[in-house]
Amino acid sequence: MERASAASHGRKILWIVGIFLLATSVAAAQDPSFYTKWTNYTSANGFPPGEVYCVTVDGNRVWAGTGHGLVLLENGRIQKVFTTKDGLAGRAVMSVAVDRLTGDVWIGTFGGLSRYSGGQFKNYTNLTSGLANDLVYGVAVQGQYLWVATTAGVNRLDTHTGSWSIFNESNAPFEEPWTYGISVGAEKIYFAVWGGGVLSYDLANHYWKPYTDPDGEMELVLYRNQGLIHNIVSSVSWNPDTKTFWASTYFGLSSYDGRNWHNYLTKDSGLPSNFINAVKSRGNQVWACTQKGLSEFNPTTNTWITYRPDAKTGRGEILITRPDGSKRQIASSTTLAHNYILNLDFQGDDIWVATANGLSHGARQPYKQQASGAQSTARSLGR
Amino acid sequence: MKGRNVVVLKIRNGAAVLIVALACLQTLPARAQSAPAPTPAKQAPTAIPYANMPPAAVPFGRYRKPYQDWFVDSSTLEYYGAARERPDGDLAALKTINIGFLGPLDANNYDSPYGIAMLHGSQMAVDDANAHGGYHGKPFALKVHDDLPLWGASSMAIVNMVYDDHDWAMLGSVDSASTHIELRATLKLELPIMDTATNDPTVTQTRIPWLMHNFPDDRQQGYALADYVFNQRHLKRVGILQVNNRYGRAGKDVFFETARRIGHQPLVEVWYAPDATDFSAQLETLKASGIDGLVIWGDAAQAGLVLKQMRAMAMQQPVFASSRACYPEVLKIAGPAAEGLVMVSAIDPTRMDPEWQQFRQRFLARFHTEPDAYAAYAYDGMNLLIASIQKAGLNRGTIMDALRQYEMKRYTGVSGTAFFDYTLNNIAPVTFAKIQNGQFVYWPEQRTDWHGKPVSFLR
Repeated sequence: MERASAASHGRKILWIVGIFLLATSVAAAQDPSFYTKWTNYTSANGFPPGEVYCVTVDGNRVWAGTGHGLVLLENGRIQKVFTTKDGLAGRAVMSVAVDRLTGDVWIGTFGGLSRYSGGQFKNYTNLTSGLANDLVYGVAVQGQYLWVATTAGVNRLDTHTGSWSIFNESNAPFEEPWTYGISVGAEKIYFAVWGGGVLSYDLANHYWKPYTDPDGEMELVLYRNQGLIHNIVSSVSWNPDTKTFWASTYFGLSSYDGRNWHNYLTKDSGLPSNFINAVKSRGNQVWACTQKGLSEFNPTTNTWITYRPDAKTGRGEILITRPDGSKRQIASSTTLAHNYILNLDFQGDDIWVATANGLSHGARQPYKQQASGAQSTARSLGR
Repeated sequence: MKGRNVVVLKIRNGAAVLIVALACLQTLPARAQSAPAPTPAKQAPTAIPYANMPPAAVPFGRYRKPYQDWFVDSSTLEYYGAARERPDGDLAALKTINIGFLGPLDANNYDSPYGIAMLHGSQMAVDDANAHGGYHGKPFALKVHDDLPLWGASSMAIVNMVYDDHDWAMLGSVDSASTHIELRATLKLELPIMDTATNDPTVTQTRIPWLMHNFPDDRQQGYALADYVFNQRHLKRVGILQVNNRYGRAGKDVFFETARRIGHQPLVEVWYAPDATDFSAQLETLKASGIDGLVIWGDAAQAGLVLKQMRAMAMQQPVFASSRACYPEVLKIAGPAAEGLVMVSAIDPTRMDPEWQQFRQRFLARFHTEPDAYAAYAYDGMNLLIASIQKAGLNRGTIMDALRQYEMKRYTGVSGTAFFDYTLNNIAPVTFAKIQNGQFVYWPEQRTDWHGKPVSFLR
């Protein structure tokens, strides 16, 4: 009798949980929120013209690397454009990292590494320091260390002692020394290596581990979830929430959670392009910066949302790809400055996006709330 | 109309499919002198396997169809960036139309003979264009940068070309590491690159649309040599001797993998230092292995020494070599020991067509030396760049577009007829050379269907 009662009670709980999950998912489906409020910074409003290579958020400040120097925005206003005349090591700025403890700003340029501290620049080049090469693609702060991704390997600068270490094919498992990006985790640091896959460095035990394309061929992907999809890796992002690293390549997107690999191509996902310049992940969000738009992927719901300007109208196009492959397109009155996306960073729930033609600031709004302001011409698209 | 049957081989899922396509070979008029921008020749058959890969050499080809094949359709080099939207250059404000050059020029650089030839070929093309009025009356100017032997030292060259020299495009380099560095930098800086000398096939395997490559790469040389050695000469126990630098390592890999896939895994591979002169240790290893043929991936001078020392050790096996061995120096050093050596050649310098002969005579008169493959491909590559600038105007994005119009099309220049695939890589058949009675004898590659029957392809 008691057993039957317990079973009945269990069924009731299951029903309640099921109904709750259904209700929340329906609510989420009916009231999604999208990045529909975009503010763009281009040459039309005083921003340097051309590509924005990188963007880094530092509280209410935003640093943007361009082909014409480093731009500082504060509370959404352009405060200053730093150039080589101000002391910056190079004109083309590829990466920026802020040391939260000291406030120092580290800048990777095509011309060396710069540190901006106390209103002054100090530069490090191949000739004046232990920097491996003057083409600096990535910088990242890890405690007292600065990690630098260069075209001739990885540097580690001990900012307390000023000593440099270099890691390349001579002392670490680099198939190629050309390093593009860095992502710092609590236990490991991950490196995107062009032609060499992903490398991780274990901080406690000081060892390197390579993750490379298991088929070993540039011209094919043998199996869908074979391992890393390709060795030409453009960036890597460690997500501490899901304990997963994501790697972007010019041949699709990969993730690895320590047990399983998952790969994504345009033909099997909502990715708008296999040519991906950068990836960033946090929580249930994975952002892919592709040459045909900015994609937000939720691995839990297997849903993709791609943002880009509509080539015909110039207005915003938001393309939603559901797990079954069906697509829905909605429009927004504002959109990204360009479809070619190079980088992004988060500011709370807002995002800052580096594009080929300016910097974009996106704010998320519930779709239902702004339906009158934005386009309400949502339509379902076939697969 | 010139016409002929072109047999195209395609393999996937373990089954070889022969597709016979009738192709009209309408080649471009030769551009020995700079002339109005050419229109790329009519599109060739599209059912060409990537890199003209022999069926037997397709990775995993016997086992399964890959989940994804790259480089086999027109989406390979898609570009959706903003370069075309940039303002065009102001012709009135320019004194010259600058084109960058990066090559090994310092005499201490191991690769400088190739770099200097490449510079001379480039200079001739620029001077020819200027003799025909330059670009709307403004002369083209070559902005020369030395590709220094110290690894990575030349990495800033492309930055200087874009920001200081204000180049519209660049040509270079020989060293594949340097070329890779320029290639990755140009993805950010967006400067069209014409690569006329690198052998490394991975340079065109990146999906970066800013680079075009016309020199026969290691894949083309490796496939041709493997077919010749194993299918036409029927050797079975081959050894490999390679120079220990990026050129030797990358080139050897293609030949080795192709040989392995067709069931003739090389018995032994040994290497030598780029400055080696004594090869006795390597040759003892090769001799002890019982090889029936030797493939050398290295330069002419050392190939000559290897042959001399090999014959002195009573090793009479046939020897084959990559294109950098195909220089008179190999014969000069080896003497009679070079007899029978078969090499891949990037060009056939005995061609009698007026384009080549005129170029050869003008080059000889100006530089007092015979033009080699590096000079010829640089001349053609610079002509392609100049023609693209003439056609597209002073906008790097549209110049890149003009270069991309050569995808799956032919171009005939002084080096011969190139065919550019979807990666903008030249995959035309190579030339072979043999030392016979103390002379270099050349013939066009005759590839087999890997079952002994000859096939014609892309010729």
